[in-house]
Amino acid sequence: MGAQLITVSTDTEFVHLAWKRDEKELAAVKYLMGADPTGNLSRLFGVYDAGSGLALRGTFIIDPEGTLFNSEVNFYNMGRNIDELMRKFKANIYLKKKANEGCPSKWKDEGDATLRPGPEMVGRVHEALNK
Amino acid sequence: MHDAVTEMKVGMQVPDFTLTCYDPVAHDFTKASLAELKKQGKWTILFFYPADFTFV
Repeated sequence: MGAQLITVSTDTEFVHLAWKRDEKELAAVKYLMGADPTGNLSRLFGVYDAGSGLALRGTFIIDPEGTLFNSEVNFYNMGRNIDELMRKFKANIYLKKKANEGCPSKWKDEGDATLRPGPEMVGRVHEALNK
Repeated sequence: MHDAVTEMKVGMQVPDFTLTCYDPVAHDFTKASLAELKKQGKWTILFFYPADFTFV
């Protein structure tokens, strides 16, 4: 889909290899496993936890021009939903083409209803969502 | 706690970075570069997590 997924932790690339080799849940993994042992990239995105030296569960979507489109951080014990990540990713791609539209929370894929913010929608979001 | 790093917020331009990676497909170590990915017209998704050998 014209995207590179990179998972990042403060482990080294050697630990990534060992983990990928040992953990059956990772058998199908094809994405790059990035190593940030200095924490520098984690700091850049504000997810470096200095107390533990670990990165928080942050997800960031960058467009092909280098602009940050999406930024989300979960606390340690909160897992992420891949379907929701893909939904946001698709919405970001769509909105890059159609900057004057809005993707409501239930938008899933191209072809689903979008909103066009403007004077006629003020106080009429319900009608716009249900037309 | 924080040094002089500008933390990224949506809408900001992400400075180019290079990251050493393990590539499971090639079974080799490689470098990922934001500049290179941009040149290829690709989006980049960064997925941070605390530690290998735990749940992600």
